Amino acid sequence: MSIIETAAPAHDDGGLQLLTSLVPEQPNDGRPVVMDEQAKREVRRATLSGICIPGYIVPFGSREMPVARGWGSGGLQVTLAIGGPSDRVKVIDQGDEEGVNAVNLRRLIVGTLGSRPTADTEEATIVQSRHRVPEEWMGADATLVLQVPQSEPLRVVEKSVYECKRRHAEADYAKMWVHLYERLALTGVMGSGAGHPVLVHGRYLMAPSPIPRWDIPRLHQSDHLTILSHGRDKKIYAVPPYTDVEPLSFEDVPFEVEYTPGVRCSKCGSDESFMVETKTGDWICSDVQWCLKVRAGVADLERHDRLVPRRYYPDPSRRVRARERMAVVPGSRPAAPAGITAPGAEWSLKVEGLGKVYPGRRGSSEVVAASDVSFDVAPGEALGVIGESGSGKSTVMKVIIGDELDAVGSIRVGAVDSGRTNLLSLGGPERRRLRTNIMSVVYQDPALGLDLGISAGGNIADALIAAGWRSYHQIRRRAAELLDRVEVPLSRMDDVVGQFSGGMRQRVQIAKALATDPQVLLLDEPTTGLDASVAAGVLDLLGELLEERELAVVVVSHDFSVIDALTDRAIVMKEGRVVEAGLTDQLFADPHHPYTQQLVAAARS
Amino acid sequence: MTNPETRTPVLTVRDLSKSFTLHAIGRSVESLRSVSFTLYAGEHLALAGASGAGKSSLLRCITRNYLPDAGQVVFHDIDETGRADIDLTALDDRSLARLRGRRIGYVSQFLKAPPRQGPLRLVTNAAVRRGLALDEAREAAARSLLRLGIDERLWDVDCSVLSGGERQRVNLAAGTVSPPRLLLLDEPVSALDPANRALALEVIEDLHRQDVTVLAIYHDMNIIRRVANRVLLMQDGVIAADGRPDEVLRAGHAVLEEAVA
Repeated sequence: MSIIETAAPAHDDGGLQLLTSLVPEQPNDGRPVVMDEQAKREVRRATLSGICIPGYIVPFGSREMPVARGWGSGGLQVTLAIGGPSDRVKVIDQGDEEGVNAVNLRRLIVGTLGSRPTADTEEATIVQSRHRVPEEWMGADATLVLQVPQSEPLRVVEKSVYECKRRHAEADYAKMWVHLYERLALTGVMGSGAGHPVLVHGRYLMAPSPIPRWDIPRLHQSDHLTILSHGRDKKIYAVPPYTDVEPLSFEDVPFEVEYTPGVRCSKCGSDESFMVETKTGDWICSDVQWCLKVRAGVADLERHDRLVPRRYYPDPSRRVRARERMAVVPGSRPAAPAGITAPGAEWSLKVEGLGKVYPGRRGSSEVVAASDVSFDVAPGEALGVIGESGSGKSTVMKVIIGDELDAVGSIRVGAVDSGRTNLLSLGGPERRRLRTNIMSVVYQDPALGLDLGISAGGNIADALIAAGWRSYHQIRRRAAELLDRVEVPLSRMDDVVGQFSGGMRQRVQIAKALATDPQVLLLDEPTTGLDASVAAGVLDLLGELLEERELAVVVVSHDFSVIDALTDRAIVMKEGRVVEAGLTDQLFADPHHPYTQQLVAAARS
Repeated sequence: MTNPETRTPVLTVRDLSKSFTLHAIGRSVESLRSVSFTLYAGEHLALAGASGAGKSSLLRCITRNYLPDAGQVVFHDIDETGRADIDLTALDDRSLARLRGRRIGYVSQFLKAPPRQGPLRLVTNAAVRRGLALDEAREAAARSLLRLGIDERLWDVDCSVLSGGERQRVNLAAGTVSPPRLLLLDEPVSALDPANRALALEVIEDLHRQDVTVLAIYHDMNIIRRVANRVLLMQDGVIAADGRPDEVLRAGHAVLEEAVA
């Protein structure tokens, strides 16, 4: 009897028995050796690591399996490594025991381990599954092995493997929330199909394999152990029993499971199980074995009832506002907070003796990009740094914002440890955290400060989420206010920034930089590269924004007119050193250093 | 004029010198040579002299738009917190930037307005900088603009579209609204037609009644006679004469002849 022919009658009464009989008992002797003991130990070791650090992705030395990669080779290796003859193994594919994939894997597993196959979840000690958590309760003795097609949850938002690892290490998952924000703004619905990202034990972001959202609450504080494995990626991660598994969501737009009131299984009549639509338009339980048990009257309905994720049932009334176009009430702009200085000092940013040397490559001499650069900036004050290309002004900017970590001298910010900590003594993660709310930068190239692949609103959401905002509507309101302030039409709030003109991109970048009301703002050639008329508009806007706020601002530019329009004081840099400092209008009207005179002459002509 | 000993000094300039070294042509130009004078409270001191005599340089050295080579400029400030003698030549840049526009005003010949900023906002901002509350500042700005004959229809247009005369009046309005203790004016009425000049001069004369001490450059001797109560006549970077307008202007200096010519 072929598998295809038996697929349909599985739902008939008596199918349960048929299912079990499909898999022949294997003799214990002469079993094929699919995995050697060494390989099993390797997988067990990775699995134990995964259990010790819930949700953390552990690499392992994967072996070739006699199934194609992508057909459950990851889950297979785990099952073969942890299973034995006394196990009762259930293998399903999307809730179905009879898919080609499930049947093949079951044969292989049962044949290799010499264990007994079962279709009964209650009885199973190992459940290997693709895309489903069994509908029925699994006991504390059970282990759920999930086959994973995509192990890295951040891959959808971050292409660089290194960056993904960094984000896991720093628990920096803002990008994932931005991804949810974008979906929400686009579709008005929370949830991202199958495999909704979850936070495990409040620490690691995890891709729970493409199980339906219905199944995700089943992983939370479960009685059973869940092991997830990806053969091609050679990655294992786990959710130990009684561990918190929280789907990512916004405070005001909750996570939702798939549920339509009134829809019932056409076979068993259940209306509270995960259901799939048939070709004829009927709905049936996705978990065949559960459906059969219900029909046979042997299902433990009481225990199942406790697993039904009712608190995540969709509430259409909460969706309505997610798609709403934002309108800004005039005068609703939040007041900018006061600037922070170090106690007893006037400055909120102080740079002393800053130096940066780039080592020479292949025998060429080293390059002194900045040497002994010192200045300080008070709240409400803007300092200009002017010089030609190669004068070291951009290096100074990079060192201050933390794009370059390795430098000598000191950088202090009044808002950090009352100005006592030299920022150069901090590590990369701490420096990055400062950029979420203490200091921000507007780059010449908007692509450096923005994600051109997401919307204008999403880019601002990025800054807000990184700073800890978790209310969708608050984020959206704030983003709309900021975009309105920088004169980006609100009708374009949900458009991808990559479709914007250069001037508009720069405005969005400015809005993003100001989103969290930083104490220190760095502007790196903010209008260079824009058409003259567009540049003038951006410059005016910056002038107005600086006037409104108590920000300490550093403006780096080769263009005297930019420095003149935005700053009161300025320093002139040449070959990495400060050659002249003074009031901006004085430097322009009465330059002393020959280099400054040249710059002024060039600006006047 | 009262006895010098009992008068309150507002600005003391001592041995102020300024030269420019032009590195590109390897030459140095002397502009001020050891200039000394004291400006007293309530004075309206006019600087007169030919072009290149050093009038503008003197004004700019006081605001430190030019950096003096030698000498002192001491601003004797009085406010609620008391009296302070501030050496402007030695003051750090940040403090000086704060004094400017707040305690010491400078009205240049040409309006420097951020584009897209209308006259009303420009003048309002100037008043806010000098400590007025926003609504108060807006009212003061409106009065000031009306007084100088700037039509209400122009209040919100970009300053760059205004005529030369309008711009100069807006500039004067920004400089004289809620005026600071010391006001420096560089040819404040040079671009005005007679009718508007009369309006501007009324505003300038009025400064005296508001206890504002003024140091100004005028090219028109009639204006000096009308608004100033003291004149410094400058020639080749030094003070050639110092006294009441009727004395200095009647003296028939060769310097003056040159200046008027």
